[in-house]
Amino acid sequence: MSTQGWAERLPVLGRRATRRRRRRRGFDRPRFLRAFFWIFMFFTFAPLAIVALFSFNSTPSLQQFDGFSLQWYDEFLSSATLRESLMASVEIGLVTMVVGTVLGTTLAFALVRARSRVAQASNLVMLIPLVTPEIVAGASALVLFAQIGIELSLATIMIAEITFSISFVTVIVRARLSALNREVEEAALDLGATRMQTIRLIVLPALWPAILAAGLLIFALSFDDFVIAFFTTGESPTPLPVQIYSSIRFGVRPTINAIGTSMLLISFLILAVAVLLPRLLGRREEENVLIGRDAA
Amino acid sequence: MSENRFAHLMLLPAGLWLLLLFLAPLGIVFAVSLGATDPLYQAVYGWNPGNFVDVFDPLFAPVLLRSVGFALATVVLCLLIGYPIAYYIARFGGRWKTLLIAVVVLPFLVNYLVRTYAWVAILSDEGLVNGILDTLKLSETGVQFVNTPYAVIGGLVYGYLAFMILPLYAALDRMDPSLIEAGKDLYGSRWQTFWHVTWPAAFQGVAAGCVLVFLPAVGDFISAQLLGGPGTYMVGNLIQQQFLEAQNWPFGAALTAVMMAFLLIWMSIYLRSAARASREARA
Repeated sequence: MSTQGWAERLPVLGRRATRRRRRRRGFDRPRFLRAFFWIFMFFTFAPLAIVALFSFNSTPSLQQFDGFSLQWYDEFLSSATLRESLMASVEIGLVTMVVGTVLGTTLAFALVRARSRVAQASNLVMLIPLVTPEIVAGASALVLFAQIGIELSLATIMIAEITFSISFVTVIVRARLSALNREVEEAALDLGATRMQTIRLIVLPALWPAILAAGLLIFALSFDDFVIAFFTTGESPTPLPVQIYSSIRFGVRPTINAIGTSMLLISFLILAVAVLLPRLLGRREEENVLIGRDAA
Repeated sequence: MSENRFAHLMLLPAGLWLLLLFLAPLGIVFAVSLGATDPLYQAVYGWNPGNFVDVFDPLFAPVLLRSVGFALATVVLCLLIGYPIAYYIARFGGRWKTLLIAVVVLPFLVNYLVRTYAWVAILSDEGLVNGILDTLKLSETGVQFVNTPYAVIGGLVYGYLAFMILPLYAALDRMDPSLIEAGKDLYGSRWQTFWHVTWPAAFQGVAAGCVLVFLPAVGDFISAQLLGGPGTYMVGNLIQQQFLEAQNWPFGAALTAVMMAFLLIWMSIYLRSAARASREARA
């Protein structure tokens, strides 16, 4: 290679080097990533915003907003069937929350404290409901109820929902429980407290925020759930999601916008409480659990 | 009573519940899948492995393949969209991190039906987009968005993206950002830094995310039902039809059993990684 060739190339090399340096700085202040993030936010929120907007439309059109009106909410709340469905969903959510939380918490306690092969196996089995597709859950619950001859009703939905909510509670409560400092408990036992007293006075107060967050989470999940309810529901009353599904199948109706917007608000409200309550109670660990750091 | 004894006593209620109402029903499904229907469409037990042959019948095999194909496409799209989002928040979110991840996940907490319906309202023939196209005189006949594979896959991505973003974020957030700086200081190219520093840290999250998206996507029937049509039906639609419309429970149970067996491989990957994570958390 001649010397002249190098001389010609040098400025080019220099320019390339600056460009690379500049690009690196661009990578640290990620314009591309930020743009991507906001486009993503637009596409996830826009559909919900559109449903919410058109739920206030004064005409049934989904293409044009013709003025503000509450008629679709009126139609939703003045329909006896839909009101019953709403109540049914709330009942399912409440029963699942109470029973699921109790069962899930005892299971978490057992899994953290019990040492045996059975306990080890339960540790794995407990995770399976979390990764079972809902349709399998629904179909197997339906087959079970048919085999033992239980007529489908709200109660069957509740049983099926509880089955699939136990593991959520266990995962959340277990994370908190295994982080607990055992010394206080041991001190209580040394000072003559019974095991029940120790649990009531020391363990439960420490677990309370996690239990509460888990309870609200499974309320939201079972209140919202469609697939399992669809398989295990009786004739009437049917839970709200099942009701929504059958009306969507008959075509897009503006009332669905109103029901959808109401469900959206209820979900957000419950989750806001689930996130804020533990914080008000003075603990911050639960948010890590809620956003799934533990689950991953 | 010893501590261990007491803990085992606590195992009983939920353990029995899951045994009787979760594990036993899966066994019953398998038993029914070998059965037949009597003239009144009641499932009766028997020995009919033919139900499983039917599953792979040329009539139904395309549905199974389609389900797996749609689910894989969903996983890939979720990874391509979810990774930059999780990376952006974990690395550049600063003190807003928790708020940003909460806001990103918020839409995914809304009822899946309602979210799918939102896309139906936007994309259907009388929907918003076609309305706009019509007003702008861009299309005379309207564009058919729904009832296509793209719409179904799009619905699945919109349905399950959060299951990708959360584990990815958790993995990337744990990574020490100074490692990336160190990689650069040691003259690693961007690609080398990614491959030797970021990827090993993200891998657990990527694996968990892929499985968590794939499992529900392969069993989904809402997206194909609402955004698709008979030409885009997935195995979930088939199972739902057999159980709730055609009343052919043995065939529905066989489909369920085949799907569950196929998914067990994926589940064991996930369960192993989850078990490792919980061991690490406890250590």
